[in-house]
Amino acid sequence: MNTTTMNGTLYARMVRNGAVNLHKNREIVNDLNVFPIPDGDTGDNMFMTMNSGAAAVKNVEDLTLEEMSSKVSGGMLLGARGNSGVILSRIFAGIAKGFRGSKEADVRDVAAAFECGVTESYGAVSVPVEGTILTVYRDAVRYAGSRIREDSTLEEYFEDFMTELRASLDRTPELLEVLKEAGVVDSGGAGLVYIAEGMKIALEGADLESEGGESAKAAPAVDISSFTKDSVLEFGYCTEFLLRLQSSKTNVDAFDENELKAYLGSIGESVVAVKEDSIVKVHVHTMHPGEVLDHCQKYGEFLTMKIENMMLQHNAKIAQSSVEIKPRKPHKPYAIVTVASGEGIKETFASLGADVVIDGGQSMNPSAESFIEAFESLNADTILVFPNNSNIILTAKQAASLYEGSDVRVIGNKTIGEGYAAISMLDTSSGDTDAILAEIDEIIASVITGTVSKASRDTEKDGVAVRSGDYIGFVGDTIYVDSPSATEAALTLAKDLHAEEYDVMLLICGKDPDPADAESLFAELKQTYKRTEIIMIDGGQPVFDYLMILE
Amino acid sequence: MQNYALFTDTDTDITPEIAREYGYHVISMPYCLDGKTIYPYEDFEVFDAKPFYDMLRAGTLTTTSSISEEKYKAYFEPVLAAGQDILYLHFSRALSATFEIMDRVLPELREKYPERKILTFDLKSATTLSLLMIHEAGAMYKDGKSADEILAWAENEVDHFAMYMFVDDLKFFKRSGRVTGLAATMGTMLGIRPMIHISSEGKLVNIGKIKGRTKALEQLVNYVEELGDDLENHRMIIGNSDAGEMVDDLLAMLRERFGDKIQIEISMVNPTLGSHCGPNGIGVAFHAIHR
Repeated sequence: MNTTTMNGTLYARMVRNGAVNLHKNREIVNDLNVFPIPDGDTGDNMFMTMNSGAAAVKNVEDLTLEEMSSKVSGGMLLGARGNSGVILSRIFAGIAKGFRGSKEADVRDVAAAFECGVTESYGAVSVPVEGTILTVYRDAVRYAGSRIREDSTLEEYFEDFMTELRASLDRTPELLEVLKEAGVVDSGGAGLVYIAEGMKIALEGADLESEGGESAKAAPAVDISSFTKDSVLEFGYCTEFLLRLQSSKTNVDAFDENELKAYLGSIGESVVAVKEDSIVKVHVHTMHPGEVLDHCQKYGEFLTMKIENMMLQHNAKIAQSSVEIKPRKPHKPYAIVTVASGEGIKETFASLGADVVIDGGQSMNPSAESFIEAFESLNADTILVFPNNSNIILTAKQAASLYEGSDVRVIGNKTIGEGYAAISMLDTSSGDTDAILAEIDEIIASVITGTVSKASRDTEKDGVAVRSGDYIGFVGDTIYVDSPSATEAALTLAKDLHAEEYDVMLLICGKDPDPADAESLFAELKQTYKRTEIIMIDGGQPVFDYLMILE
Repeated sequence: MQNYALFTDTDTDITPEIAREYGYHVISMPYCLDGKTIYPYEDFEVFDAKPFYDMLRAGTLTTTSSISEEKYKAYFEPVLAAGQDILYLHFSRALSATFEIMDRVLPELREKYPERKILTFDLKSATTLSLLMIHEAGAMYKDGKSADEILAWAENEVDHFAMYMFVDDLKFFKRSGRVTGLAATMGTMLGIRPMIHISSEGKLVNIGKIKGRTKALEQLVNYVEELGDDLENHRMIIGNSDAGEMVDDLLAMLRERFGDKIQIEISMVNPTLGSHCGPNGIGVAFHAIHR
C-alpha cells in the first residue's frame, strides 16, 4: 500500500491497533524490571493508558484528524498510569497539538506532529532522563523525519520510525547505568516499540484482533443464552450513567434533580438521580432506555454509560457501578489525598487525617483520572497530594495539571513512610501553603523507610547476592540484605539502618507474613532496641512484607 | 499559731507529708472505681501509684466526682467554729464542677460565722503546677505571712508558673474531655504525642503534637529554656503519672541543660487527675516569664 494521507479514521485504527499489539506483548514489557521486586508493571500501565485513548474513539467514525487525535489525547491523559504511561499520554497529547486544525495529514505533517510529541513529552518531566522512552521516541522521530523524501509514503515513514525505535531501544543500557546493571532495555521504550508496531500494521491495512484483554474490559461476560428470540422483556434495562450538565443546554446551578426523578419515575423504577455540581448520576430500570437518554441529553452530555438487559445474568463484579459519586464534603482550606493499598494502611492514613485514600501503590498504579475523581469529591481550597511511590508522582502531577477546581500541590514523596511521617505531623493551621510545604519537606527528609519484600528474580546489587524467592531488605534503590526469612531480613535491616539511633519505629506488617512471625519479630525488635519506641500495625499491604519506618 | 487556716486539695498533688511540713488542711478530691468513691489520703494513707496506673493500663477506667456540700462543711466548719479564718488555695475551677457546690456552701458558712473570713484563690492549675505554688505559699504560711500577703503574692505570681506536659495515650483525655483543642484528626497515636500546657485560665490546652519520646522530652526542656525565669530561686518539679524511665531521662536532660544548682523534684500525679490524663504522662512545672 502506498498511503500518503492520514485521516481521523486511520489514526483511530492505528491507536486501537497500537493498544492491542501492546496488550499481546505486555508481559515481555512487564518483565523488564530494574529492581528485583514486583512493581506497577510498565506493560500493564502503558496498555491501560493506551487503551484509554483507544476507548475514547471506540465506535467513533468520521471525525477529522484534529478531533480524533484530540479525543485520543483526552482519554490517555486521564487514563495515564505510572511514569511511562504519563509520558506516553504526553507524546499523544503533543501529537494531537500537532494535528490542530488538520482534517488530514501528509507524511510531513505527521512528522511535524510527532515532533510536537517530543517537545510535549520532554516537558512532562522536570528532569528528563536519557535512555528512557523519551529518548527512544525522540530518536525515532528525528531519524524518520530526516529520511522523508518527496514521494515518501506513510508506510515508509513508519518503517524508518520502527527501525530507529528498535535501534534506540537497544542503546538504552548504554545511556542508563541501572539498565546495564540489570541487563535489560528500558521497559517504557519497549512498550513504545509494540505500540508503534501495532500502528504500522493498521497502516498496512490489517486490524489486529484483541485477545480479550481490551474487549473484556469494554464488554463484560454475560450469558446471552438467557434471552432468546422468543423471550419477552419483563424486567427492562438497568440504565446507569453520569450526565455532565452543560451550560449551553441548561442552567447548571438551578437544575433540579427532583424534576428529573419525577420524569424517570414515569418511565421506570428504582430511580436514583443525584446531582453533584455539574454531574448528575442517574440510575433507572426502564423498558425504554433510549427515551431516557434522549430526555437527559437535553440537559447535558454523557460521561459514562452502562445499559444492561436485566434478563441476563451479568457478572456480579461488572454489574457494580463503576463510578461512585460521594456527597461533596464540607468545605475546608486544606485537604489531603494519598495513595495506599492494604486496609490497615488505608485506615491509618484516614485516621491521621487523609481525606481520600486512593487504592493503589507498588503493584497497582492509579490513573490520573482516579486522582481527579478524588479531587472532585473534595471541597478544599488547597489539596495536598502524597503519592507515596516514585511511579505515581508523575500521574498525580498530570492530574493536578488537568484539574482546576483547587490549588493542587503534589508532594514528591516516594514511600509510604514519608507519607505517614508528613501526614501524621501535618499542621495546616498557619494557612501559609509554602510554609506548610517547606515543613513537609523537612519532615520527609528526616524519615527513613526500610522495606522487606520478596525478590522476584536473581540479581546482584550493592554487593548483595539476591536470590529469587528470598526476602530483600532495602531503602530506596539500595539493597542491604537478602535472606530466606522475612523476619531475618527485617532484623538485619533494622541493624544496618541503626534503628537504635531513632526515636520511633513504625513497623507496618503486610498481608503475607504469618501473624505469629510478625509478633515474634515485633518482640525481638522491642527487646533489641529498648530506647526506640516500636509500634507495629497490621497494614495488610501486598508486595511489602514489612515497612520499617524510622524517625 | 496563725489566725487563719491554710487549705488546699489533693488535686494539687499535695501529700500528707507536704501538708504536715507547711501545716495545710487538705480537702480530698475523690475518684470512682467500680462504683466506689475513693477519697485520697482519707481512704488510704499512701498513694501507691504503680498499681493504680497499671490498673488503668490494663483497661480499668476510673471517673471523678465532685464533693458534697456536707463534705465542704465538714472541712471548713470546725476551723471556723474554732475561731480561725480560712484561706483556700484550690485547683483550677475550669477543670471541675465541684466549685459550684462550694459556691453554695460558702455564703451559708459566712452567714453562720459573720466574724470569720473565708478567702479562696484559684491557682488556675492542678497537679504539678499547683504543687509548685503550694510549696511556695506553704513556706510563706510557715514563715508567718498573713493571708492577705499570700493572696497578694498569689495574684501576682499565679501567671509566673508554667507547666508543659504530654501523655502517651490520648484516650483518657479524650474520654474526660478535659483538654481543649485536641485536634479531631488525632485518632491514631502511633508515637505521636499531644503537647499540652495549662493556660492562664487554668485549662489544659493542646498546643501541638510531637513524635517520639525523646523529641517530646527535648521539647519540654526547650520550654523551660525559653520561658524559665529566676530558676535558681524556685524549685522545678517533674510531674508524672508513672512515666518510668522517662522521668530519669527528663531529669538528666534538665540537669544537663541547667546544671546542678537548680532544685528539681519529682512528683506523682494524684489518682483523681490521673483518671483524666492516664498513665505515662510526664510534664515539668517551673517558674516562668509567663504560662
